[in-house]
Amino acid sequence: MTYEQFKDACFALALEKGCESAEIYSVTSDGFSVNVLNGELDKYAVERSKGLNLRVLFEGKSGYAYTEVFEDPEVLVNHAIDNAKAIESTDENPMQGACEYPEIHEKPNPFVDLPEEEKIRLAMDLERDTLAYDPRVNRTEYCSVDTGVVETHISNTLGLKANSTERYSYAVLGPILKDGDEEHCSFAFKFGPEITDYAGIIKESVENTLLEFNASTVDSGEYRILLRNDAAGDLLSAFSSMFFAERVQKGLSLLTGKLGETIASPAITILDDPFEADNPRAFDAEGVPSVLTTVAENGVLKSYLYNLKSAKKDGVVSTSNAGRMGAAGAVTTAPSNFYIVKGEKSFDELKAALGNGLIITEVSGLHAGLNPISGDFSLIARGQLVENGEIVRSVDQITVAGNWSAATCASASRWAAESVRRRC
Amino acid sequence: MIKSSIVNAVLDEALRTGGDFSELYLQDTESNTLSMIDGKVENANYQRKVGAGVRVLKGTRSAYAYTADTSGDALIACARAAASALKGTKEFEAKAVNVDRIGTPWAKIPFSEIDNAKRIALLRDGTNAAKAYSDEITQVVANYMDCDHRTWVYNSEGVHAEDRRPRCRASIQAVAMANGEAQTGGDSPGYGMGFEAFREKIDIERSGRTAAKTAVTMLHAPECPAGKVPVVIDGGFGGVILHEACVHGLEATSVGRGNSVFCGKLHQQIASPIVNAVDDGTLPGEWGSMHFDDEGNPAQRNLLIENGILKSYLVDILGSRLMNHPVTGSGRRQDYTYAPTSRMTNTFFAPGKDDPEEMIRTMGDGLFAAKMGGGSVNPLTGEFNFAVGEAYWVKDGKILCPVRGATLIGKGAEVLMKIDRIGKEMWMAPGMCGSMSGSIPTNVGQPRIRVSEIVVGGKGGAL
Repeated sequence: MTYEQFKDACFALALEKGCESAEIYSVTSDGFSVNVLNGELDKYAVERSKGLNLRVLFEGKSGYAYTEVFEDPEVLVNHAIDNAKAIESTDENPMQGACEYPEIHEKPNPFVDLPEEEKIRLAMDLERDTLAYDPRVNRTEYCSVDTGVVETHISNTLGLKANSTERYSYAVLGPILKDGDEEHCSFAFKFGPEITDYAGIIKESVENTLLEFNASTVDSGEYRILLRNDAAGDLLSAFSSMFFAERVQKGLSLLTGKLGETIASPAITILDDPFEADNPRAFDAEGVPSVLTTVAENGVLKSYLYNLKSAKKDGVVSTSNAGRMGAAGAVTTAPSNFYIVKGEKSFDELKAALGNGLIITEVSGLHAGLNPISGDFSLIARGQLVENGEIVRSVDQITVAGNWSAATCASASRWAAESVRRRC
Repeated sequence: MIKSSIVNAVLDEALRTGGDFSELYLQDTESNTLSMIDGKVENANYQRKVGAGVRVLKGTRSAYAYTADTSGDALIACARAAASALKGTKEFEAKAVNVDRIGTPWAKIPFSEIDNAKRIALLRDGTNAAKAYSDEITQVVANYMDCDHRTWVYNSEGVHAEDRRPRCRASIQAVAMANGEAQTGGDSPGYGMGFEAFREKIDIERSGRTAAKTAVTMLHAPECPAGKVPVVIDGGFGGVILHEACVHGLEATSVGRGNSVFCGKLHQQIASPIVNAVDDGTLPGEWGSMHFDDEGNPAQRNLLIENGILKSYLVDILGSRLMNHPVTGSGRRQDYTYAPTSRMTNTFFAPGKDDPEEMIRTMGDGLFAAKMGGGSVNPLTGEFNFAVGEAYWVKDGKILCPVRGATLIGKGAEVLMKIDRIGKEMWMAPGMCGSMSGSIPTNVGQPRIRVSEIVVGGKGGAL
């Protein structure tokens, strides 16, 4: 059975068995990745995959079933209906009908279409130039290039048809530097058309690694903190689920009942921007047309992030933030491009204004040391000690501990001026 | 699952450009997941994942291609894609199957015989037990997962191995709130068994109470003080310290490339002399167990550290070529979308001789980490970071009060040398371990242990 036949058969069977509506979310991906070590291909991988997720609405409840084998539509439909019957929540589960989508202008990325040999050459050149860049570069832990095309199709029996093609490319470089007895490895990455900026990725990865040398800890205490934009972005990303309406509605967020209230310093404005130039999209995982959402403005909470179900429950419209954990997952909530809008000062000005304190360049252990329900975090961190506005030395073996609300309220004037952004 | 003539054609096609080893991996996995929030089922999902991957090795170089289409033509195309990484001419022929390894599944009650009503009843029992523990429990999230994971491995040396690994797990997360503050607790038992695990091994109501107790206890706990102090870490999930701080650094993925603090340390003292550590994939019905690994090699019991001396690394086929070390039955992968690499199974400190009460009584001032959270490690430097889910401050050898927000920070190699007590009773707890070949089920375990000093992170003042 072809994919198209399978899809049509699922829709017909679902309606015949009494479903009000049915929707298919399918993802086809075609990828290529290489890792280079010592001038040779260390890893080479080619990917071809296709999966189909059926969602049915049966007696008002949503049920899911996913398959990668397009043989027996009835088994899939039966699983989906069984799962719909299991749902006890009384929330309504709307599906998106036929609609128009905004035009999206992706930056051209000719690298994706280059022959394999060219992509391999980029990885080879990247390793060679990294080894030559600084005598302390000993080897690379990874030097990889990934490219591919992901096609997403969403269609349903209400007339929805949403198709998108994402062409991705990224390079990750992790040089290992050795100086005396010390050996350290950090990394940098570039994505999209910037992948061909060898010099930039090498410089950034080596500089990040050099920061780890001659580091020592500092005494425990309260410090003035300047969070570098990548570290701040990691923190924001890890706390993003606090803004999900479904978490708020279930009592799993400290932001319950805080709409219109001050939740952060007036310096903080948070956007969810699906049109952001580096990573634009026309619709979300439910096929809802993209909209720009102001989540917080000058410290005041303006909106949660909604999918169709949570929006219906609050009597608002979806903010186009439906997400799925891969094609196999159920609809949840996910940010698109979620970031703190930049301020007016440069990083150097902020450093000078910091006076005495710490620049935090990296936080790790976010999945373990941070709790988005309580807002508590206690994270292993690295950074630099700043005295009289000047960097004195590198710092490691420290933890940064606090609570989300205290951190955003008290320290916001010191957020890096650069826009804090994470692809989510 | 597939005709032997196709298998041979695929393995041979993969060797066409000069590879010296080829491997075909096939997978067929069915799983069911349900989630309940506040006593109501919110989501139910069924997934069937089917696909294949072809790997080619030439010396220490590897190429991998995978496809969700398991037809003969697609598998040949997949083999051709993997082979295209090499540019040579054919040197080796694939051998016909000469070794058959068939794993007998541990499931007594297959998940296909279970309906959603039975799954939901478990979640409801766990939720109710958590809510009944205290009025301060404001929310309970309960998740259920079962999975029937079948694998077929064929390689050009003539090995054919089939395995079937049923697994199931439930997790209860409780949230306690008061005065605008929230704290959480959780318990997530899981086994490599059929649905009988919920009758023979898992007490879901106890999991609910355990989760609620942690959340309520932490809600009333002051912040943990920071400092370098002795730490007693309880058994079970406490073994995450061994998993993160040590055994990740024994995997061929890091050792084979020279990227571990444990490189070149075989037969040397890397831990205190009372430390014995084991990775054992053969334990029947355990979360991290299997009959054969994802390269078709039999699972093994590997003694990693004996009396503080490093005895073995964890080595897959590619790692074995890089390190000149025998394979240890450690080749694992999440699914067909990943090439296999060296991974853990059930990893634990073996029981010691010490009294669990004495180690707190004689520790002076320090931290008792009753429930560990997750963590992460940099294998190159061995730096780690663990969250402590439920912790108590100890003063003059007596438990003073619970403390929240504690983390343990340090370097694995240093902590191993500083273990000065190991208790008599060992138990394990399941987790999902993420690394280069994806997310796989692994058990961590240990008896209660004491470390003479660790940096404890926290934001509280003196207690």
